[in-house]
Amino acid sequence: MKITIFALAGFFAMMAQFATAAVANERLRIYTVNYPLQYFAQRIAGDDAEVVFPAPGDIDPAFWKPDVQTVGAYQGADLILLNGANYAKWINRVSLPRRRLVNTSAGFAENYIDAGSGMAHSHGGGAAHAHAGIAFTTWLDFRQSLRQADSIRQAIIRKRPQLKAEVDKNFAMLESDLLALDAELKSIVSGTQNQALLASHPVYQYLARQYDVTLYSVMWEPDEFPDPSQWKKLENLARMNAAKWMLWEGTPAAESVEQLKRMGIGSIVFNPCANLPAQGDFLSVMKNNLAMLKQVF
Amino acid sequence: MINIQSLEFHYPGNGFSLAIEQFDVAQGEKVAVIGPSGSGKTTLLNLAAGIIKSERGSLAVANTKIEQLSDAQRRDFRINNIGFVFQDFELIEYLNVMDNIIHPYRITRSLQLTPSVRQRAIQLAEKIGISDKLNRYANDLSQGEKQRVAICRALLPGPKLVFADEATGNLDPRNKDRILDLLFDNVAEHGATLLAVTHDHELLPRFDRVVDFLEFHTPGPA
Amino acid sequence: MHALFLAWQYLVFNKIRSLTLVACVTLIAVLPLSLEVLLDESERQLLSRAQSTPLLLGARGSALDLVMNALYFDDEVPELISMLAVDELLAMDLAEPVPLYTRFNARGFPIVGTTLDYFDFRGLKLAQGRQMAVLGEIVLGASVAESLNLKPGDNLLSSPQTVFDLAGIYPLKMKVVGVLERSHTPDDLAVFADVKTTWVIEGLGHGHQDVSQVTDETLIMQRSENGVVASPKLFQYNEITADNIDSFHFHGDAGEYPLTAVIVIPDDTRSSTILRGRYLEEAGMHQVVLPEKVIDGLLQNIFRIKNVLDAVIVLVGSATLLALVLVFALSLRLRQRELHTIFKLGCSRATITYLLAAEILIIGLIAAGLCAALLSVVDGYSSDLVRTLFIN
Repeated sequence: MKITIFALAGFFAMMAQFATAAVANERLRIYTVNYPLQYFAQRIAGDDAEVVFPAPGDIDPAFWKPDVQTVGAYQGADLILLNGANYAKWINRVSLPRRRLVNTSAGFAENYIDAGSGMAHSHGGGAAHAHAGIAFTTWLDFRQSLRQADSIRQAIIRKRPQLKAEVDKNFAMLESDLLALDAELKSIVSGTQNQALLASHPVYQYLARQYDVTLYSVMWEPDEFPDPSQWKKLENLARMNAAKWMLWEGTPAAESVEQLKRMGIGSIVFNPCANLPAQGDFLSVMKNNLAMLKQVF
Repeated sequence: MINIQSLEFHYPGNGFSLAIEQFDVAQGEKVAVIGPSGSGKTTLLNLAAGIIKSERGSLAVANTKIEQLSDAQRRDFRINNIGFVFQDFELIEYLNVMDNIIHPYRITRSLQLTPSVRQRAIQLAEKIGISDKLNRYANDLSQGEKQRVAICRALLPGPKLVFADEATGNLDPRNKDRILDLLFDNVAEHGATLLAVTHDHELLPRFDRVVDFLEFHTPGPA
Repeated sequence: MHALFLAWQYLVFNKIRSLTLVACVTLIAVLPLSLEVLLDESERQLLSRAQSTPLLLGARGSALDLVMNALYFDDEVPELISMLAVDELLAMDLAEPVPLYTRFNARGFPIVGTTLDYFDFRGLKLAQGRQMAVLGEIVLGASVAESLNLKPGDNLLSSPQTVFDLAGIYPLKMKVVGVLERSHTPDDLAVFADVKTTWVIEGLGHGHQDVSQVTDETLIMQRSENGVVASPKLFQYNEITADNIDSFHFHGDAGEYPLTAVIVIPDDTRSSTILRGRYLEEAGMHQVVLPEKVIDGLLQNIFRIKNVLDAVIVLVGSATLLALVLVFALSLRLRQRELHTIFKLGCSRATITYLLAAEILIIGLIAAGLCAALLSVVDGYSSDLVRTLFIN
């Protein structure tokens, strides 16, 4: 009788362990709000996670609004990686489980750059409030992107402590790649602080700050030919700052390039890579960006 | 059937006393006892039935010396040997006619209520003429019907003696004769002895013997 | 058996008297026993809810008010705290916070503004529909849905506050997207919204036309290069729809947004102890309480009151019993003739006693049966009764 009891107890203990292990060994389901975070998370977690960034490939994730079904998918994720810096504005209008949210840039929130964009408004009778315009392309400062990646690493380990060794190993490789990008960019822009550049959109603030690049931004869409007032403004900017190059976030319209050429301004594409690239990955896109930048400096 | 000698009894408190020197009733006799109200006629019935116990003297009923019995013995004796018919019928209002008739069998262990007893009750009710009212309640019956039920109740156990205390007192003249006929017929059929207390002088000729209570009883101060 | 038969016949014949006696005896028995059942159930409910909540953070003040509002959604709203408390908690890295904002209600039911973590924490599952996804969506407790006859797809208006105050809280039309399974807890009687939705009800967030696109100048008080000051005339949406949700935004510092409490889920026992120690300082604005301890204290008081109630019930019961004894004695007197008759017929005094005892027995048995039936009903509905009578 005693032997039977012990045997049964042992059997159930084993089953419980298997169950726990089974749950623990299930692939982590991670959702992100932009492609860079997806890239980092996939590189760090490897095959132990399914990392999803569900936005369509042809839109800017910063202005994307997921539908209710997609919000539901986010709700079911084990981890939801946020960029921070008010990147995904849709976050404030949806319900997500707070315990599974990870603000990957919370560690350097005090260093956010005030973009100062957007019209402020207030309501009669009350104090005026401005919508804080925070620059959100935090990953273009590769040191910051490394911190974001580290935040992801820590979150994965908290969820799956047994993956620490593998995760740390993967992170080390990613770290090496990001540091290499950082070093290369520093080298490219070294000694060029006085060279002003133009930017089609105010998305390079962190890059400009970290790598000491003087940038003046306008609000142009790459695929739209600007109107005369916009050209006028650009012309003034270029003339006042002796800017000879314009950074485009996407492939510009041919006529815009032509017009700029006529003005003596060259065009290069520096893709912030917020969404999944048509070809390659985050690393290859950044490498390509740096190659483009070499033309400038 | 009843032999009384030098019997003495008194109710404590109210001063009433009863002294009977000699009184006998033969088996099968139908005796009427008459006398003024308060003279002790009912007391005589109660003494003979063993409901109350005499203080002195001899009281033999059906060859049993009642004064020598204990309370329980007197009770058993009463239920097995004596049937009572009361002036006010004294039916149980919450029982129907059938249950009233067999009531004695429910209130003592000396009598066993069996299916044969129920059958006899139905037969007796048929004879007495109330078998069509077995499911009725006492309050739904006429005075005559109530007394018939009481007679059935008294006769069902097959008593040796039937004591009728003013049994026709509350009946109209027509019912009085009928009830008395029933009583006499069934008492005779059962071979029982009838001792009836009555005020009704019209009925006296029907009895075997009429006894004036004051002839053999000296009542004490009330 | 004859005694029982005769007793039964007597009781049936005197129906009204018998029913009255049965009712009196039943009441004497049922009242204290029901009270016992309800108090046991209330203790169980209060305690289990409190035991399942590790810690509660709120404004310094009445711990009982804080616990009753946060756990049982009591009408009494405690002093407010702000999201800053959540930020401070997160910074300590000792626990997970689940914010609660329970200031508002909808058609008599409390609106509980919280996050999705609350549902995981309480183990609440959906019976119909889906979980809330966007601003303005709500999930109903089972009893709310039943009571208001609402299902996913229906709408529910939040109740206005201070109807005649122009600066009061105006109703927000919220969309029901889900109904929870019955949990037999106060969650059944709550309307769950994202805490951000409750801030919209508060007026901290709203939606309106894009002020930079407005052409009606009466809607604008002032324009400048950096900003626009809208006039109060500018229409603010009282419903969040797919068409206008993009216009919804929040003003002010999010850290100052109000909460009524924060459920604190410590990482471990050590973290719990450290946290409680950190909030012990009297001068601090916040307090951290152990709900189980607070409710235990409340129950001690309830039991003290219960002892008084028990004493009252004993007195009342004794008086009723005395009255019943008197009724019985009087009815015996009325039956003297019947009893004398059967005595004369040959019934012993013991048998007469059995007859009377049989009547008492039958009344007692019927009363016991009724009492058991009523108690089983009370027991069956005890959890709902307790919530209705004591907790709500």
